[in-house]
Amino acid sequence: MTDLREVTVGTGSGLDTADMVLNIGPQHPSTHGVLRLKLVLDGERVVSCEPIVGYMHRGAEKLFEVRDYRQIIVLANRHDWLSAFSNELGVVLAVERLMGLEVPERAVWLRTALAELNRALNHLMFLGSYPLEIGAITPVFYAFRERETLQAVMEEVSGGRMHYMFNRVGGLKEEVPAGWTRRAREAIGQVRRRLPDLDNLIRRNEIFLARTVGVGVLPAADAAAYGASGPVARASGLDFDLRRDEPYLAYGELDVPVVTRTTGDCHARFEVLLDQVFVSLDLAERCLERVDQITGPVNVRLPKVVKAPEGHTYAWTENPLGVNGYYLVSRGEKTPWRMKLRTASYANVQALSTLIPGCLVPDLIAILGSMFFVVGDIDK
Amino acid sequence: MPRMTPDEVGARLVEVLGPAPDVVASVSGGQSYARATVDVPPRSWAAALLAARDDAELVFDFFDWLSAVDELDEGFSVVAHLWSTTQRHGVLVRTRVPRDAPAVESVVAVFPGAAWHERETHEMFGIDFPGHGELRPLLLAPEFEGHPLRKEFVLASRVAKPWPGAKEPGESGHGGGKRAPMRPPGVPAPGEWGPA
Repeated sequence: MTDLREVTVGTGSGLDTADMVLNIGPQHPSTHGVLRLKLVLDGERVVSCEPIVGYMHRGAEKLFEVRDYRQIIVLANRHDWLSAFSNELGVVLAVERLMGLEVPERAVWLRTALAELNRALNHLMFLGSYPLEIGAITPVFYAFRERETLQAVMEEVSGGRMHYMFNRVGGLKEEVPAGWTRRAREAIGQVRRRLPDLDNLIRRNEIFLARTVGVGVLPAADAAAYGASGPVARASGLDFDLRRDEPYLAYGELDVPVVTRTTGDCHARFEVLLDQVFVSLDLAERCLERVDQITGPVNVRLPKVVKAPEGHTYAWTENPLGVNGYYLVSRGEKTPWRMKLRTASYANVQALSTLIPGCLVPDLIAILGSMFFVVGDIDK
Repeated sequence: MPRMTPDEVGARLVEVLGPAPDVVASVSGGQSYARATVDVPPRSWAAALLAARDDAELVFDFFDWLSAVDELDEGFSVVAHLWSTTQRHGVLVRTRVPRDAPAVESVVAVFPGAAWHERETHEMFGIDFPGHGELRPLLLAPEFEGHPLRKEFVLASRVAKPWPGAKEPGESGHGGGKRAPMRPPGVPAPGEWGPA
């Protein structure tokens, strides 16, 4: 006679589950660049999420200290490769303010126009790539059609498609080509006319709404405490826009409508981005009208060696993705003693990665995409 | 509602902290974009940021950044920039820590966003933030040695090695008389750094 054995067969709740550690990135195609997330999963639910950054760290701040003020511009426009014009702007503003340099009015209005066009270009990239990430393929073609139209305008004026290098300490590199403002206005008109194609396609799309509404909600107070800014923070109802709150360039003379939402979810972030494109096109057009009325130089003559006097100052700008700032400490040399770079994506990614624990894996992609970050902007 | 001037912001923060000889308010450079700058001793660093956040007139709710400046023999300045989204004014809060034992209390409890900034300042300057808990490297590789943003850290890629041979016909390299070319910024004098 064989021994009787008692066997318990587990079903459902009786099973032991083990947490799984999943690495997303650094080379996963659904991430932008090389952001790595170390996730602990319990089934489909994310238990913890640790962003591991720094794969693209290029030591920009150390390099700033061994380059003169003209050379710094080219280094500083690279960290966020979708906002090169705005990145350059912060550096030259910091140096100009410390030197007490007055920038010609025509240059100020041109800079404002170009900064707004750069914002539209940046936003259009994310308006195309975000739907793509959550499965809508078509919008990216519309977004890139508009990008190409605006890109031609930027290319004509600066010769560059990404790293414009059009700012100089004291103004701009050179006068814009004859007839450029007219062609720029035509391009803006075209984009404004065609943008509803993209808007109608995705904003109220049922599947898009299902994936984004109520997902990844960031409260406004958290956004502020984490230093999140730009479209990400304004979607949470943090009514903060440097173009209005501490106007630089010509924004003080423009009435800047600040686009905000209150729900703070992925869809709100997308909507802020979309509505900001319309605002930026309007602002750029108004600036170009002013440019046509102003004559005069677009830069000032500088000494052979540009030296900022001893002191410290902080210049921050409302970049497309949020606040971008340069804290400049000078000891009167031709290179900065210290130049701290504060970037938008750094703070925004830190804030939004706190939302991921507790969400489901498919929502993770929706949240990650709605952070609107550039990895170079995190890693510096 | 009129905005507070940088002088008023600085004076108010000093008042809130309780006037002391080592709490000093000044104004940064940058003309119309100047910032109130308040220097505090390291022991009241966290208290200063907390007071700046909670004061009813200042309401610094937006944590912008935290970093440091190498001041050579005088140690390091730890700097933070705060902004009030409701009052629309900002402040730079600074403290000075000694070079031999650089440490200042963590402010993560005051502003959670400081977590990454303190990790970055720790790896870049070697400044300790007791109370942070996990000061792992953020941007640098785990095996990286040294603190790159300290002034004594030489940027190795900038150290130019002279071409070993003659560059032009007739140039021997031992001729002398020719003035040494001006070294670019950040490049140490020959023999000052690196293998002999």
